[in-house]
Amino acid sequence: MTFSSYIRQSREGLKAQDRRFSVRQVAQRIGVEPAYLSKIERGDVAPPSEGKIRALAEELNEDPDVLLAMAGKVSSDLLAIIRKRPKLFAELIRDLKSMPDHAILRIARDVRDGDW
Amino acid sequence: MIELRNNELIFQFPKVHTQAVCRIDFQRTLRIPDDNQEYPLPPGLGSFPINHVDDFTDNLPATWKEHGGVFIPMYQAEALWMNFSGHYPCAIKIAAGKINAVSGTQWTKKLSNRPQDYVVVPDQPWLDGFNVSKGCVRQFVAMPLGEGYTAEEQLTGDAEHGGIQIIVYPMKHDVYVKYMEQHRVFNIGDEQCLTYAPADEMGLGAGGVMRQEIYEDDYGIDSWDQTSGLRCFVHLTNSAIYQKITGHPPLHKPPTAQEYTDSGLPWFDYYADKKALQGSASLSQLTSVAAKKIQKGEGTLDNNENVHPNTIKTIKKGRVVRDGRF
Repeated sequence: MTFSSYIRQSREGLKAQDRRFSVRQVAQRIGVEPAYLSKIERGDVAPPSEGKIRALAEELNEDPDVLLAMAGKVSSDLLAIIRKRPKLFAELIRDLKSMPDHAILRIARDVRDGDW
Repeated sequence: MIELRNNELIFQFPKVHTQAVCRIDFQRTLRIPDDNQEYPLPPGLGSFPINHVDDFTDNLPATWKEHGGVFIPMYQAEALWMNFSGHYPCAIKIAAGKINAVSGTQWTKKLSNRPQDYVVVPDQPWLDGFNVSKGCVRQFVAMPLGEGYTAEEQLTGDAEHGGIQIIVYPMKHDVYVKYMEQHRVFNIGDEQCLTYAPADEMGLGAGGVMRQEIYEDDYGIDSWDQTSGLRCFVHLTNSAIYQKITGHPPLHKPPTAQEYTDSGLPWFDYYADKKALQGSASLSQLTSVAAKKIQKGEGTLDNNENVHPNTIKTIKKGRVVRDGRF
């Protein structure tokens, strides 16, 4: 599913139960023009900025990291972490790509041994 | 692999055996009076929080990042004991500031049996202090590094490492099969090492004397698989700056031995029909924290009045719960 269709589906689902989730009202709450949000949902324009995606995620009760990934973006805090040790994280992510979630969680909490 | 889960370090050796697991946590406890009288075992008052060094590297000394491992917060002059659990036999070396807590020798990775410089779990459920004489230890007490209190400084003259270092070696697979499966026990182990160090660096000094036997290795040094070890460095940070590092509030201070005893809560003795090691000659020469304080002209140690434990529970092998509620 694309970012645009996912956003639309999520918002329409909420709107079915609460009219406050119309395009106009959601656009107003996240600080964009209703026409722009409509274009985003149709895929007529590229996904918005990280800040607007985070606002949308909060509005629609979605995970911001998931929405950012669907939009082809990486959260700025994650980017900062990767930039500190790009080689290490690149290798780590490639190594982890086919591992099941529980194994990744386990590795993420392993205690690292260093030089002493 | 060493995993940190629920404030417990879990050493796992899947290549040796799927059940080769050893768990270590660090228990908060009373600081027993440092008055050269022998005391029973103090209670466990819950686990110290353990944090990954890698989660807070911006707020920690560069050497900690280099060492890796974990850190725990301790107040100055606070005591701890190490709690070992797991069914699979493992040999564990423990050092404070790279001084072996069992033999008093300098840190080496490999095990030695002349003298024995490790404990064997599950026979040894706990370690509360430095092995100063047969059947007695001097309690582990956190003190700032660089002021002459720690065992490391007293035995080497340097305040270099601090913290606690641990290595765990599992029993060899074939030894396990031979000895343990005959007894219908199903576990095996590997090797691992842990170390603790400080962020206003702290190390462990020798506190009061308590009755605790460190048991001889019944299996023999060749039983341990010293080829597949894991290492970890555990740092000790002063609780006063713990919040600055982690954003989490520090723990409340533990009760004093006097407060605990006056409340009628129990102390403990442990009994196992096993042979105890002799104490270490070098560790027996350590100047205790209270004595050092007087020697340095810094007065007496706070809350060091002697106490008279009235309620002493004897725990036998296999029934090792040692909780104290306050």
